[in-house]
Amino acid sequence: MSVAWIGSQPVPLTDAVRNAAKLLASSRCPVFTLDADVHGTRSAIALAERLGGAYDHAAGDLLAKEVALFTDHGGMFTTPGEARRRSSLIVIVGEIPVAHHELLRAWADSQPDLGDRQKRSWFHIDGTETAEAGKLARKLKAISLRGEVLSLPAALGVLRAGLQGQRIAASLTNIDRFKKALTTAQFPVFVFSGTSGETAGLVMLQGLIADLNKTGRASSVFLPADDDAWGTALTSLWMTGFPPRTGFSNSLPSYDPGRWDIQRMIRDKEADLHVWMSTRGGETPPRGGKIPLISLSKTNAPTSGAKITISVGKAGIDHDGVSYSSRTGTFRAVQAAQPSQLPSVSSIIGQLAEALPGKKALPC
Amino acid sequence: MLIRLTGGEVVDPVNGATAKRDVWIRDGLLVDAPKGATADETHDVSGCIVMAGAIDIHSHIGGGNVNTARLLLPEHHRSHLPRPANTPLSNAGWSTFQTGTLYAQMGFTTVVEPAMAPYTALHTHLELADIPIIDKATLAILGNDDFTLSLLRDSKSKAMLDDYVAWVIGSTRALGVKVINAGAAAAFKENVRSFSLDDTVPEYGVSSRKIVKSLQASVTRLDVPHPLHVHANNLGIAGSADTAAATIAATEGVPLHLAHLQFYGYGTEGKRKFSSEAARLAEAVNANPDVTIDIGQVMFGQTVTISSDVMRQFSAIGNASPKKTVILDGDGNGGGGIVPYRYKQDYYGSLQWAVGLELFLLITDPWRVYFTTDHPNGAPFTAYPELFELLMSSNARDAKSTELNATALGLTTLASVRREYTLEEIAIMTRAAPAKLLGLKDRGHLGAGGIADIAVYRKGRDIAKMFREAALVFKNGDLVVKNGKVTHYRWGKTLRLNPPPDKAMVKRMQAYHEERYGLSLDWFTFPDSAIQRPDPFAEVVS
Ligand SMILES: [Zn+2]
Repeated sequence: MSVAWIGSQPVPLTDAVRNAAKLLASSRCPVFTLDADVHGTRSAIALAERLGGAYDHAAGDLLAKEVALFTDHGGMFTTPGEARRRSSLIVIVGEIPVAHHELLRAWADSQPDLGDRQKRSWFHIDGTETAEAGKLARKLKAISLRGEVLSLPAALGVLRAGLQGQRIAASLTNIDRFKKALTTAQFPVFVFSGTSGETAGLVMLQGLIADLNKTGRASSVFLPADDDAWGTALTSLWMTGFPPRTGFSNSLPSYDPGRWDIQRMIRDKEADLHVWMSTRGGETPPRGGKIPLISLSKTNAPTSGAKITISVGKAGIDHDGVSYSSRTGTFRAVQAAQPSQLPSVSSIIGQLAEALPGKKALPC
Repeated sequence: MLIRLTGGEVVDPVNGATAKRDVWIRDGLLVDAPKGATADETHDVSGCIVMAGAIDIHSHIGGGNVNTARLLLPEHHRSHLPRPANTPLSNAGWSTFQTGTLYAQMGFTTVVEPAMAPYTALHTHLELADIPIIDKATLAILGNDDFTLSLLRDSKSKAMLDDYVAWVIGSTRALGVKVINAGAAAAFKENVRSFSLDDTVPEYGVSSRKIVKSLQASVTRLDVPHPLHVHANNLGIAGSADTAAATIAATEGVPLHLAHLQFYGYGTEGKRKFSSEAARLAEAVNANPDVTIDIGQVMFGQTVTISSDVMRQFSAIGNASPKKTVILDGDGNGGGGIVPYRYKQDYYGSLQWAVGLELFLLITDPWRVYFTTDHPNGAPFTAYPELFELLMSSNARDAKSTELNATALGLTTLASVRREYTLEEIAIMTRAAPAKLLGLKDRGHLGAGGIADIAVYRKGRDIAKMFREAALVFKNGDLVVKNGKVTHYRWGKTLRLNPPPDKAMVKRMQAYHEERYGLSLDWFTFPDSAIQRPDPFAEVVS
C-alpha cells in the first residue's frame, strides 16, 4: 500500500519528503491548515515559525468565534466533571455538536453527588431549532425556552431581562418553570459551544451568568465545536502566546484573525504554498486555491490537486498521542486504538524540517 | 570537557567567604581545581561576580490558568513583544519559549510553578517541557477536593491521607504540595463569599485550619523535602495580617512555607482603612523558625493576576483592567481566576509596594525569606532586576519613594529602614536557601559535585542592569547565555518526587473516578511518554 504520492504517482516516502521540503524551502509565505493532536500541532507551529508562515485550524471559522468570546470578554466556567457532580439544573444553549451528545446523556443518567443533590432537570434555550438540537432536547427531556421569531441572542437577552425582573414585550415559553427551577438549584450550569451562535450571543449568556452570581452561584460549561481545534488553540497559546490565527514575520509571532485568515491569504495570493492536514481523514482541501498544496492526510489515495500527498495517522487511533477532551475539559494521553504503520504528523514534519537546507532539527 | 572560569569574584556563601577563585566544570558538574590539568575552554571573568544559577520557588509559568491568561489578553503580548528587554511590564501573553529565554538571561536556572491542579497535570507538564534551557518543578494543589475533604470529614486514618497525598504527588510528577485558601474554593461553589482560618466548608464541616494542619502533617510524615506551601485565607484584604499571623502561629513546631506574604501585610488603620502590618508580620516570622515565606513583591504597571484562589479572584472582578476576566470553578483543586490588573502609583499601589519591601528588609534571616513577585501577580518576573536594586540600595528606594503616594508611605516603616542586601545575602535568598527549601542538594551552591548551573554578572554601578543581563550563564555546564543574550538552546528537566503508589489507594482511586466522574482512572493520569521529549522528568531523591 502506498503512503506517499507526487501528483498521482506513488513514490517512496523519502522522495515525497525531499520534494515537499524543496517546495517549503522555496516558499515565501507558506500557510498551514492544522488538524492534529498536541504533538502534531507543536511540530507544525515550530515549522511555520522557521519558515515565516501562518497557521489556522481546519475548523478555523468556528474556532475564531470561540476564541473571540475570551479575547473580547471572558466569563465564568466550570468543568464537565464538576457539572456532572454538582449541577441539578442544566441549560443547553443552542446547538451542541453531536460529538458531545453522549457526554450530556451520561450526565442525564447520573445523579449529582455534591451540592443540592437534587434530581437533574434540563432546559433548552434556542432561537430557530435545528433537527439535531431538537433530537437532543427530546432525549434529555429538556424544557424548551423559546420566543416567537426570536434569535438565540435575542432569546438570551429576553431571559436575562426577565431574570432581572425587567418588563419587556417579548417572552419565552416556560420561563416561569425556569424561574422556579432556579430557586432550588444551587449551581445551575449553561452548556454552550461555538455552534451555539455568534460571539455576541455567547457574551450575552455570560452577562446572564454574571447576574446570577450576584446573589447565588451559576456557571457554564464550554464544549468546543471541535475538541482537536480547541487543543490546537491551547497549544498555540503556550507556544507563541497567541491563539490561531497567528503568523510569523521576522520570526516573531503576531495574532491577527483577519491578516492571517488562511483562506483569504490563499484567495488573495498572499500565500504561495498550502500545507493542508486532515488526520481525521475523508476530507478534501477547500476549493478555490490556485497555489501548490502539500497534503498530510489520513488517506490511501493521493489528495486531488495536491503536488505531494503523504498519508498520516491519527493520534488515539493509529498511534499514541495527546488530545484535548471535553470529557474532562483538559488534555488526555490517548493510546493507539488500532495501531498502524501510518506515521504521525509530528514525525513527518520532523523529517520535512531535517530535509530543509541547514538540516536543523525542530525544537518540538 | 573541562571548563575554567578564571578571575571572578565567587559569591558562594555555602562554601565560604566571597573570594577570587577559579570555578571548574567537568562534564556538566562542578569540580575542584584539577591538579595539572589544562582546561579545554577558559573564560576570563575578571570584573565579574560568579554565583550559582538562581532558583525561583514561586512563579506561575505554565498550566491551564496561565494559558487562559494568554487567551484572555493577546493584546498585552502584542504590545510588548518587540521590546521585551525594555519592558518589565505586562507579559501576560508570554510564550513558554520566551519564559525560558528571559529567565536564563537573568541567570535563573530552576523555576517552580507552584500551582498545578492535579487533574490538569498533563497540560502543565506539556507547557513546562516546552520552556527551554531551565529546569522546572511543580507543586500539586490539594485541600479543596472532595476526596481530601471527605477523608477529613469522615476522620479517616492519617495513613490513608498520606497514601492519597503520595499518590497525587507521584501521579502528577510534583515536587511538593500546595494548599490554596484551604477549603474556600469548595465553599465558594456553595455560595460562600468569605472564608477564614476557622471557617468550615459546608457539607464537610471541616475548617480551613484543619485542612492546613492535616496536609502539613502529612507532607512532613511523607518526608517531602519542601514543607507544605500555604496560600492563606483572605489574600489582599485589609486586615489580612491577622489571618497571616494566625497561620504563622499555627505551625506548632512543624515546618510551613507561607506564600506571597506581602498580600497579607495589610491592616485597617488610616483614613482608607488600609495600612501596613509588615513590621508586625516580620516580627512574627523572625520569632518562629518553623516558618519560611516568600514576598510576592508588587512593582508598578500592567500585569495580570492568575490564581487558583477562585473566591478571591471573583471578588476582584470589579478591579479588572482591562475589563475582562475568567472565573473557573474547576474540579476539586483546579480552577481559579484570571483578572488583569494595573498597579498604579496611588495610595493602594504605593502601600503594597512598601509592604513587600518592609518584609524583605525587616525579616532578618535570608535563609527564610524568598525572592518572588508571585509572577505575574505582583509583577512579571522581568521586574526582578529592579527589585534587586531596591533591596541592595536604600538610595534607590528613596528615589522611587519620591514618586509615590506620601500618605501611604507614611503609614509604613520603609523610610526608616536603611538595610541594604549584600551580594552574599542575595546569593543565599535566591540560590542556597531555595535549594535547601526544595530539597535540591545538587544546586544553589558552587561546591564540587553540584551541577554546573552558574550565573556570571558583570559588576557595575547599575545593579538592575547587572542582574538583567548576565555576562555568562551555564546550565549543566552548557554555556547558554553570553552578554545577556541566549546563545544556545537546550532542554531542561522537570524535577519531581516519585513516592511509590500504595496499591490499595490506586484501587480506591479507580473506583472513585469511575463512580463520581463516570470515567476510568487513565483519563486523569498519563505516562511519561505523553510528553514526547527524551527524559522530560528527573527524580529528586531525598
Ligand atoms: Zn502564586
